[in-house]
Amino acid sequence: MSELTLLVLQLGFLVLLWVFVFAIVYALRSDLFGQRVRKLQPDVAAAGPAPAPSAGPAAPTAAVNRPAPPSGGGADATSENATRLVITSGAKAGAEFPLGRDEITIGRSSDSAIIIRDDYTSTHHARLMLWNGRWMIQDLDSTNGTFLNGSRVTVPQPIPLGATVKVGATTFELRR
Amino acid sequence: MTDRATRPDERAPATEGVRRIRLPQKLRNLEFWLLLAACLINAGAIVLVQLGAMGRVDTQLVLLGAGLSALVFGLHIAMRFVARDADPFLLPIATLLNGLGIAMIYRIDIAYGDAGWQSAAVRQIVWSAIAIIAAIATILLLRNHRTLFRYTYVSGLIAIVLLLLPLVPGLGREVSGARVWIGFGDIATFQPGEIAKIALAVFFAGYLVRNRDSLSMVGRRFLGMKFPRARDLGPLLVVWALSMSVIVFQRDLGTALLYFGLFLVMLYVATSRLSWVVLGLALFFGGAIIASQTLEYVNGRFRNWLDAFNPEVYEAAGGSYQLVQGLFGLANGGLIGTGLGQGRPDLTPVPQSDYIIASLGEELGLAGVFVILGLYVLFVARGFRIGFAGQDDFGKLLGVGLSFVVALQVFIVVGGVTRVIPLTGLTTPFLAAGGSSLVANWIIVALLLRLSDTVRNHPRLVIDG
Repeated sequence: MSELTLLVLQLGFLVLLWVFVFAIVYALRSDLFGQRVRKLQPDVAAAGPAPAPSAGPAAPTAAVNRPAPPSGGGADATSENATRLVITSGAKAGAEFPLGRDEITIGRSSDSAIIIRDDYTSTHHARLMLWNGRWMIQDLDSTNGTFLNGSRVTVPQPIPLGATVKVGATTFELRR
Repeated sequence: MTDRATRPDERAPATEGVRRIRLPQKLRNLEFWLLLAACLINAGAIVLVQLGAMGRVDTQLVLLGAGLSALVFGLHIAMRFVARDADPFLLPIATLLNGLGIAMIYRIDIAYGDAGWQSAAVRQIVWSAIAIIAAIATILLLRNHRTLFRYTYVSGLIAIVLLLLPLVPGLGREVSGARVWIGFGDIATFQPGEIAKIALAVFFAGYLVRNRDSLSMVGRRFLGMKFPRARDLGPLLVVWALSMSVIVFQRDLGTALLYFGLFLVMLYVATSRLSWVVLGLALFFGGAIIASQTLEYVNGRFRNWLDAFNPEVYEAAGGSYQLVQGLFGLANGGLIGTGLGQGRPDLTPVPQSDYIIASLGEELGLAGVFVILGLYVLFVARGFRIGFAGQDDFGKLLGVGLSFVVALQVFIVVGGVTRVIPLTGLTTPFLAAGGSSLVANWIIVALLLRLSDTVRNHPRLVIDG
């Protein structure tokens, strides 16, 4: 076998190795660049770009926030008194999610426990976790923020029963 | 209380609106194609080695490699049944690394003229088969990683016993100065410390989940960091003493660094306090400096590292000859390498185990070494991601610990060969000749696969905006 053929084969082998690496990187691109954003309905999309990014999702849910505090100003949700998470507004309003003892991750990523695919949710947006028996909400440095009773969550906070938590255009609360 | 959340199937129907995303076929099919590509690249590597070194193709080893590929596909098929949602990248990456290692070991065999059972490549293939069977057994028998949580202290005990085994008279074997092997008569030699690192990861994860509150809550601020109380330093000091005794009694610097680094990182992840890392590194480097002053072999390692090109050090017995030969080999390889089978990696002592990265660097060049490092990066990144996405603390810590142990081991070996840190005798995961290392790393693959399956296998709620 001539040296040239061998050289070409060796170079081809190196190229093959790189192709393999890039095939894997391509397959997990959603890890690196986040999940693809679904296009919103035309009317919402038209309203979206005009205001500041965080103001956009805040506006429609402000109305939902108002009635919540009176009903939910009570005790903090604990592993004993809270059993479910109920979606109160958004695409799946009325849906429930059982609370166990494991933390619940929220985001656009497909390995979140609650997957919210809209323009306002980050890949890893927030998480709910049990801390000394109490349910806490932690914002995972999301772009548009997580709101508890209308105020932005900066440090992990305990969630009162019935308090409104807002992630993107979805709100939910913890109930007995 | 029942073991909730481990049985999403029972709960899911009871709650309206909750469903599990099932993309099993998609993930497993992706894995299938990547695995096929990895196996073909491995076969190509062996053929290229034969063409480069002998100028002809010998089908015997390719057939042995095909047998190995069949076993890897066996693992893939097993996962289609018992771990359908597992990560699709770990297995192809491990397969490719393992195969590249076999090709390079085979290349060294040709240079040495070894064949049959003398051949390290044949032994490596047999060990790979054992390792993959161990991985299949792990994934079939361990259906939920939380089972391991129950055996926290048992695995701690197992780790200690495995570490002590080489010191037992009659059982322990000393190879090139380090007493980390066990052997029965003349037959199998095994490094129990490799398995011990898995047991230690399980133990640390379980221990830290149980006790992290006392390690992370209290303490006083100093220099902008919150330092732990003196009485909470116990675990750190125990692990430090353990790694120091590995340095002193087993004369193995790399393993000591590996265990201690593993504990430190898991402690940091569990408590998110930087002060632990600062304290731990100070302790370790303090210990290492004392060891370099008092222990002759550690002192020699440091001298070889700092003054490698000094002719006196180069020519001394146990001097920097190997290190410098490795560097010459890498330099000879250049950007694209000499081509498989066409370099002279056999000039370096132990080119098939400790120095396999230098051998690969010579024949595949910088371009090839970067592929290998890239594969490790992807492997470790997947592991960290499994830890990050995990929903229980034990699984998170275990995922981080197991992948970090691979990362740290690669750093210690490649750093040693390229003269970034002092050279220590550790095996390059998946690549280097050595059965115990292969078995341990394939079990790590199986555990990470199992973890990633449980992570995805949770009750979910999907809201499409």
